[in-house]
Amino acid sequence: MDKIVRNHISVKSMKRKHLQDVFVKNLFKLMALLSSSVIILIILFILMKGSAPFLPNYKYGTISLPNFLFGTVWRQDAGIYGVGFIVINTILSAFGALLLSFPISVLTALFIVKVAPRKVASVMRTIVELLASIPSVVYGVFAAGTIVAFVRIIGSALGIVTAGGNSMMAVIMLLAIMIFPTITSLSISAIEAVDPDLELASLALGATKTQTHFKVVLSSAKSGIFAGAILGLGRAFGEATAVSMVAGNKLFGPTFNLLDITRTLTSTMLAGLKETTGLDYDIRYSVGIVLMATILISNLLLNYIKNRIGNKV
Amino acid sequence: MKVTETMIKKRKVKDRVLQTVTLISSSISVLILIMLFFFIFQKGAGSLSFKLLTDDYWAKNYLLDIPAEQTGTYVKPANLPTDSFWSVKYGFAVTDALSHEKQKLILIEYIDPASPLAKMTDASSGPNFGKAQLISVGMQIQKIGYVDINGDTRSAGTIADQNAKTLVDTLDSSALTLNQAYIKTTGGGIRGSIVSTFYLILISLLLAVPIGIMTAIYLNEYAKYNRFTPWLRSSIEMLTGVPSIIYGLMGMVVLYPVTALFKASGTSILLGGLTLSVILLPTVIRSTEEALKVVPDNFRDASLSLGANQAQTIFRIVLPSAIPGILSAILLSLGRIIGESAALIYTMGTFVNDSPTVLTGGTSLAVHIWSLMSGEQPNFALASAISIIILIIVLVLNISVKLLSGRLRKTWQ
Repeated sequence: MDKIVRNHISVKSMKRKHLQDVFVKNLFKLMALLSSSVIILIILFILMKGSAPFLPNYKYGTISLPNFLFGTVWRQDAGIYGVGFIVINTILSAFGALLLSFPISVLTALFIVKVAPRKVASVMRTIVELLASIPSVVYGVFAAGTIVAFVRIIGSALGIVTAGGNSMMAVIMLLAIMIFPTITSLSISAIEAVDPDLELASLALGATKTQTHFKVVLSSAKSGIFAGAILGLGRAFGEATAVSMVAGNKLFGPTFNLLDITRTLTSTMLAGLKETTGLDYDIRYSVGIVLMATILISNLLLNYIKNRIGNKV
Repeated sequence: MKVTETMIKKRKVKDRVLQTVTLISSSISVLILIMLFFFIFQKGAGSLSFKLLTDDYWAKNYLLDIPAEQTGTYVKPANLPTDSFWSVKYGFAVTDALSHEKQKLILIEYIDPASPLAKMTDASSGPNFGKAQLISVGMQIQKIGYVDINGDTRSAGTIADQNAKTLVDTLDSSALTLNQAYIKTTGGGIRGSIVSTFYLILISLLLAVPIGIMTAIYLNEYAKYNRFTPWLRSSIEMLTGVPSIIYGLMGMVVLYPVTALFKASGTSILLGGLTLSVILLPTVIRSTEEALKVVPDNFRDASLSLGANQAQTIFRIVLPSAIPGILSAILLSLGRIIGESAALIYTMGTFVNDSPTVLTGGTSLAVHIWSLMSGEQPNFALASAISIIILIIVLVLNISVKLLSGRLRKTWQ
């Protein structure tokens, strides 16, 4: 038998080939497991580290959880940590940004897909992609130079002294710019995915093109557009470096005045980086948990609304 | 209902208005992009030079002895700028300048090769004591000590609250000999940050790309349609929604012990690179998977039917066909590495390091911008100059990705 079968398809070589196959498969499986376990590691370790200050026997002195969650003063120097007002500030600025950016993004997406001539549309697409790829620090530098100055001018026009222009309004405008490409590009895909038959039907019924775009296209792309809004909101919540350049450093709150300085969860986490141990270090993880919880809850809420709206169609 | 002429007219007007509204909204984004580029270039173009790329960030101080033989009359070169002042007796030219903190500086504009200032030796005790120390154009003169007619030692320079003109006048009129000079380099360069960024790119790509590709291959080629696979997918998908600042926190607790194995203490570029590789994973996985999906199933069938096993099929057939997709994944990752800041602030620190190594802290270009902007006196000029560099890199990457993905689409159609 050995003499007839050629060497490279002998039983021995087949066995080796098989072993190699199994090895590769298991290696790849291991890597896939590794990649997907990262999220669990992140959640687990941050929960562990962030909940430590509230447990009894914490070595730097236990903090009361209700005071932390509902507190309205954040003073690291005095050892007072209340994250409640910061959560409200964060939610206000993120939703403010969404409110500002959402209509502009959706209309831009509509313009790109349906209204604009092809060449203009492709230029606009490139612009949206470019805006999406600009790093957040660069937006931060831009905002600290221009948006802040704009807010200062508005403040002085109204006779209000602003903190050099650092304000909630600056944060909202900055975030609105930053989430614009996210919402726009998702809206573009949603609008592109609308069944052309729907449009044709609407046109056949005598509606004008513009009427069709606004009444038929937008409402059939609703759920995709909403997904874009949810993603944009997540980005607005999590944005850190650029926001910390224009937010100011408010010690108490919540801030409802647009021209007043504010403090978001992320800017709090970036402030006071000097510590590498101790309570000030650990409390950052607690703020991180609050941030993740805020994102999760608002996502769930928006998803619920999205499904409610989606069902009506 | 009858459609009247006025109704149609009204409708037309309404349509026109709505169309204009969409046009206006999209022009807002164009406006913002133009404003951003205009602002960044206007602020940063002045500081952008080749010197910026090669200089250290921190200023270096030199205390230098001036050699004894120094008499002479030097001829002023013809091509000196008009705002510089020429010392006939000692053969050098200086100009006035302002630092970004608005401090007055006296900068060296030109030194005659025969000038005593060109032959100074290091005066501070240490390994370099007595060695010749060349000073170059662009350095600041803090102090030049001289002996006047009465034999008293006096000081001239920024320390004595002089400007370029008075410095030259004093030295030319009342100095018999010069004895010591205190010279400072201007600093403000970004060489260290560029080196750190390269380290960061190297470490994070070396980790994220192989792991990401293997994961993508597993998900696309091996994974069965069972209850387990969607879980894998969605837990990787969830990574994209995690804000980068949370990755920073994760890096400090989860990955720090890993870097401690390599004897890194505290924040280090290695820790930053490890953290970044986690951030890159979902991007690499998704974009590799897209590329794998495009490879026609016929290829796989043909390979398998020729007797190749699955591993061979993957390495010889599927992966080579997916190379443009993998390349674009790498380019996307590069963009992310260069732009990332929040996670790196935690894991690499914000101290600008002029001679970074893998195991010490440093700043990437983006973090350098952050540390320039977060001080009491934000340095817009340098921050914008670095921003220009980042914008150019990002622009080039974006265009390359576009070209690549165009090619990928063409390949199989």
